[in-house]
Amino acid sequence: MKQTPDIKPIATALLVAPAAILMFGVFVLPFLFLVVLSFWSQVPGSLGMDPTFTLANYARIISDSYYLGGLWTTLWLSGLVTLICLILALPLARWIVLHAKRTKGLLIGLCILPLVCGALLPTLGLVNLLSPLGFINGALKSMGLIKTSLPLLGNIAGVSIGLVQAFLPLMILPLISTIERIPHDYEKAAMSLGATRLVVWRRVLLPLMLPGIVAGSLLVFCASLTAFVTPQILGQGKVVTFASLAYQQAAMVLDWPFASALGMVMLLFLALAGILGALVSRGLGRGS
Amino acid sequence: MKRIACYAALTAVSLFPCLPALAQDYSGRTLVVGTWGGDIERLLREHVAGPLEAKTGAKVEFLLGGSGDRMSKMVAERNNPTMDVTFQNIYEAPAALKESLVVAPDTALVPTAADVWAGMNDGCYAMSLVGLGIAYSKALFPEAPEWADLWKEEFKGKMAYAPYPSSEGDGMLAVAARIAGVSERDPDAAFAKLAELGAPVLSYSSLDEVFTLMDAGEIAAAPMISGYVLSNLENYEGIGFVFPKAPGPVLVRDMVCQVANSPEPELAQMFIDLALSVETQTAYAKELNFGPTNSKVELTEEEAARVINTPEEVTSLLQLDWSYVIEQRSDWTDRWNKQILGQ
Repeated sequence: MKQTPDIKPIATALLVAPAAILMFGVFVLPFLFLVVLSFWSQVPGSLGMDPTFTLANYARIISDSYYLGGLWTTLWLSGLVTLICLILALPLARWIVLHAKRTKGLLIGLCILPLVCGALLPTLGLVNLLSPLGFINGALKSMGLIKTSLPLLGNIAGVSIGLVQAFLPLMILPLISTIERIPHDYEKAAMSLGATRLVVWRRVLLPLMLPGIVAGSLLVFCASLTAFVTPQILGQGKVVTFASLAYQQAAMVLDWPFASALGMVMLLFLALAGILGALVSRGLGRGS
Repeated sequence: MKRIACYAALTAVSLFPCLPALAQDYSGRTLVVGTWGGDIERLLREHVAGPLEAKTGAKVEFLLGGSGDRMSKMVAERNNPTMDVTFQNIYEAPAALKESLVVAPDTALVPTAADVWAGMNDGCYAMSLVGLGIAYSKALFPEAPEWADLWKEEFKGKMAYAPYPSSEGDGMLAVAARIAGVSERDPDAAFAKLAELGAPVLSYSSLDEVFTLMDAGEIAAAPMISGYVLSNLENYEGIGFVFPKAPGPVLVRDMVCQVANSPEPELAQMFIDLALSVETQTAYAKELNFGPTNSKVELTEEEAARVINTPEEVTSLLQLDWSYVIEQRSDWTDRWNKQILGQ
C-alpha cells in the first residue's frame, strides 16, 4: 500500500506563501484601504483627504435621490439582463448538449468568445450596429419597416443589449454543465406518463436545471451590477449606473472617499446577491 | 615622480570642463512621461523623446491615458512618484501646484519657458493654446453660429457634450453664464441657462461618434476644443467649426508639468525644455492645429489662421478662473448630472 508523502507544515506554508502574499498585497490590503477610505472625507476645494471618521459619504448616497436612482437603475437593469440571459440561454444550452454533437466544442468556444474579447471592442462594434445611422436602423429603413431611427443607444434598451451580449456566456456555461448531468431518460419517462412538453419543462427539466440557473443568474447579475465599459459607452451619459458614478467620482472629480463609499455600497449588494444565491443552493441541496 | 604627478594634475584640470558633459550621460536611466495617446504621443516621440534619448542615452517611457488618470496617479504616489513628466489640462495644473504635486514653473530650470507668452505658465508650463468653439451641422446652421444662436428653440435637445467634468463642460458653463449676464461664479444662473438647451443627444466617448450624427443633422452643435477636432473635421463635409465672438472662445491650455520629487528631475526638465522648443511647438501647430505657446514660433498665414498664436488673439479669448472652477468640481458635477443630463 502506497503511503501519502509526509509534507511538513513548513513546506506547505512555503508553497502557499507566494500566492498568499500576492493576494494580501494586491487584493486584501487595497480592499481594506477602500473600506477605511469610504469613512474619510474630501477636503472641500482640494485634492486632499481628511482622515477623520465620518458617515457623510454614506449619508450623501442615501439622502440624494440622484444616487438612489442610480442604484435602483443598476439593480433593475442587472435583474433585467439576468432574466433575458436566462431566457436566451436555456434553450441554447439544452440544444448544444442534446444536438450539437461534433460541433459542441466549436459552439461552446463561440459562446465564450465575448468573454475573451474584453468589453471594449464588442461594445464599440455595437455602437456601429445600434446607432441611429447604424446597420440595424439602416436595414429596417431600407426595408421600409421604419421611417425614423429606433432609439437603440443612450437608453436601457441599448445598454441591455450590450450587457446580454457580454454576459450570456456566464449563463450558458453553468447551464451546459448542469444539463449534461440530467439523464435523458427522465424526460422520456415523464412523456411516457402523459406529460406534455410544457409540463416536462416545468416539472422535470427546470427543477433539475435549478443549480445551473442559480449559478448562472448569480454570475450574470453580479457582472452586470459592476459593469462599467458597456453602460458608459452604450448609455452615452444618459443611463446612470453605480459603476459609472463611481468612475466619475474616482477618476474625474478625484473625490476618492465618496467613490469608495459608492464602491462599498455596490459590494454590499454583491454580497447580498451571493448570500441569496447560497441560501437558494442550500435549499436545493436539502430538497434533493 | 613629482613631474608625473604634476602632469596628472594638469591633465585632470584640463579635463575639468568636460566633467559636466560626462555627468549628462544618463545611460540606463528611464524618464517616465504621462500623456495622451495618438497624434500627441507620436509628435512627442518624434520631436522630444527621440532627441532626448540621442542626447542623453536615457530611455523615455510613455504612460498613455486620460489626464484624470494621471492626476489620480500623482495623488496616489504623492510620497513616492514614479512619473517624471505629466501632461495635464489647464483646469488641473493650478490645483496640482497648490497640492505640491508638481514643481512650479521656473525659467532657471527650463530655459525655453522664458519664450512662452507672458502669464501662460499657470501651475505648470503652457504646452499648447486651444480654444473652445462650436462644431456645428452646416445643414442646420447655414451660417456659422454665435453662442446665443444655440439657445434658439429649434435646437433644444440637439446638443452633444463631452463627459463632465471636462474643459468643454466648464467652458460651456462659463459661456452660458455670460449669455445670462453673469459669470461662472454664479453657478445657479449658469446651470439654469445651460439647462435651457435641453438634455444632450449624447455625451460622446469619441469624436467619430458625435461627428457621424452631426454630419447627418441628428446633432445640431457641440462645444468643442480646437486642435485635432479641426484635423478630424476634414473627413466631414457637413460639419463646420467656428470661434464665436460674443463671448470670445474660451481659452483652454494643455500644460506640461514636472512631477514633484520625481526620480529623474533633470531629465524631466530637459524633456519639458524640448517640448517647449520652437521645433516641437511648430510641429504641434502644423500637424495638430494646436496653437504654439512659444512666442518665437513663426507660421505661414494659412497655418496661423487655424490656430491661436498671437497675444491679441489670446486677449480676445474668454479666460476662466480655473482655480475657482476646480474648487467647485464636486458640486458642479452633481449639478451637471442632475440639471443637464438628468432633466
